[in-house]
Amino acid sequence: MDVDDLIFQGADYHYKGEFDKAIAKFQAAVRIDPQNEYAHNQLGILYAKKERFDAAFRVFQKVVRIDARNTYALLWLGILYLKQGNLERGFEKFQRIMEIDPTNADGYYFLGAIYNFRHNTAKAIEYLKRARDADSDEPDTHYRLAQAFHNLDMTANALLEYQRTLALKPSHTKAISGIGWIYYNRGGRDAAIAEWKKIIKINPKDRDAIFNLAKAYNDLAWEAMKRSKPKEAISYWKKTLRVDPKNKAAVYYLKKYQA
Amino acid sequence: MDRRHFLRWIGKGILGTSGFLLCTRSVAWGKSAFDYALEGQNLIAAKRFAEARDVLKEAIRLDPKSDWAHGLLGRAYYGLGQKAEAVAAFRGAVRINPADTYSRMMIEIITQKPIPRPKKPRRPPTPLEKKARAEEEAMVSHLSSEGGLAYQVKRVVIDPGHGGFDSGAVGPAGLKEKDVTLDLAQRLKRRISEKGKIKCFLTRTGDYYIPLSDRTVIANQYQADLFVSIHINANENRKAHGCETYYCSEKASSKEAARVAAFENAVLKYDEPFKKSPGYIDIEEILFNFERKLYWEESGKFARTFQNRFEQALPFRSRGVHSANFFVLRRAKMPSILLETGFISNYDEEAELKKVSVREKITLAVIRGLLYGRG
Repeated sequence: MDVDDLIFQGADYHYKGEFDKAIAKFQAAVRIDPQNEYAHNQLGILYAKKERFDAAFRVFQKVVRIDARNTYALLWLGILYLKQGNLERGFEKFQRIMEIDPTNADGYYFLGAIYNFRHNTAKAIEYLKRARDADSDEPDTHYRLAQAFHNLDMTANALLEYQRTLALKPSHTKAISGIGWIYYNRGGRDAAIAEWKKIIKINPKDRDAIFNLAKAYNDLAWEAMKRSKPKEAISYWKKTLRVDPKNKAAVYYLKKYQA
Repeated sequence: MDRRHFLRWIGKGILGTSGFLLCTRSVAWGKSAFDYALEGQNLIAAKRFAEARDVLKEAIRLDPKSDWAHGLLGRAYYGLGQKAEAVAAFRGAVRINPADTYSRMMIEIITQKPIPRPKKPRRPPTPLEKKARAEEEAMVSHLSSEGGLAYQVKRVVIDPGHGGFDSGAVGPAGLKEKDVTLDLAQRLKRRISEKGKIKCFLTRTGDYYIPLSDRTVIANQYQADLFVSIHINANENRKAHGCETYYCSEKASSKEAARVAAFENAVLKYDEPFKKSPGYIDIEEILFNFERKLYWEESGKFARTFQNRFEQALPFRSRGVHSANFFVLRRAKMPSILLETGFISNYDEEAELKKVSVREKITLAVIRGLLYGRG
């Protein structure tokens, strides 16, 4: 069979989720054409999907030996290094991608994410903005950029990027949570609570949203107590228990002040 | 696939058949979208790519939902060497017909290597975009001043353990853990604020109880770079003494810690209900695990730094650094450590912990660890 037919069939099996058949086709293709980068890269991805990460790693390394400018293989090598927990080697691969292709959104994204993990927000913003400008259709690029801005208290930028995240992926609960904190820290408690309730609608078991809401209601309860309004406080602690039934503070103070 | 192979393949005229079957005559008279697409296909076969591009654009104008025409347009652009436009056209085909293997494959083939990006049209900024730009301009000097992969701490959340009805451990002479931890936290906040390099937040500022879950929520609320929980140790054996530092780690340092880890892992599952389907590589999950691992490693470094400072500065024996899966540490989305600064259950150490001078030494040791300890 012709190598191009094998590749087409392999790609078709891949998209249909028939990974073993796809692997067989691409293996046959690289036997006929050992320099075929696309077939090797497909094999790498398929191995990764089958959780054969060592095999995937070797395949992507082979592609880079065939052509050191194959940014797709370099990207996956970088990702697999991160999977191994190897920050330096992963970082090196993403930097190499940027040297080859200064417009590569994925390379910028991973570099920005790494700087975010190191809490070097200035660098994270620099790279994530480049990722966003190269490809604005990735919700997680906007989300990570929002996080970096948020970490620097640049809340207008953070809010804008959280909103852009949600425009692309309305169920991005972490972005909703971030918007909630911006509102909360500005004193907009009701608006924050409304945001976190949206998360509960998307995923009733979202622990972040549950704990955020519980904290907000507990804070409101304490503020009511300070204003000598125990009935109001009690109503807030009851709300705490509706979202977080084991909340020790609400259980204790309700028992104490309801008595 | 190299270019020679690709062109040979193009020459074979492999087409997305579903588009062909779905394409209907949208105009009863004159040339239809189908006619234009067919003409475009023939022009591609004759390698007259510019003409093919023009007629295929017309086909798409008449029938924007023809994946066949979009796919052919991608081939025409590719033939013209306009790779970015080719990718955009193939993406158009895949959007209409996700089962269009050929167009999907072409996107992957082309994007394996660098391609020039098409310019995007600009639109006027929204009010929030204007505000964001002004904010960024005001921050520009700050944004350009930093570099490197070393972990950076600009915000710390200090968590005085216990509070309110939960007094924590109580010493033989009546000293309460909750009072010592609050005093230490307040001293730390004062000192850190004086230095001005790091912003400091407390999880509680008075004698009231806040649950464990709220404490890490506060660290997340302030986007903290480091979470430090302060506790005072206690043991039924009144001879037990010394200070130690804990951090959250994958590797539990005892059987009990392993049991707690198993429980916490079960809890974590609820956080990610939509993740993990077979045959799907979740990049964000890889990044999440990588980030957590980095934070745990960083927590270990902070723990060792603080413990070294304690060894040098405190009148307590060093009991070393330990790892365990404390709930209060695990849910924090940043490096987090838990300090046990002495045993309140020990007569001598309780007496020491009452002294302002000792509390100041603890405070200074933590600050030195924060500001200077990690190079």
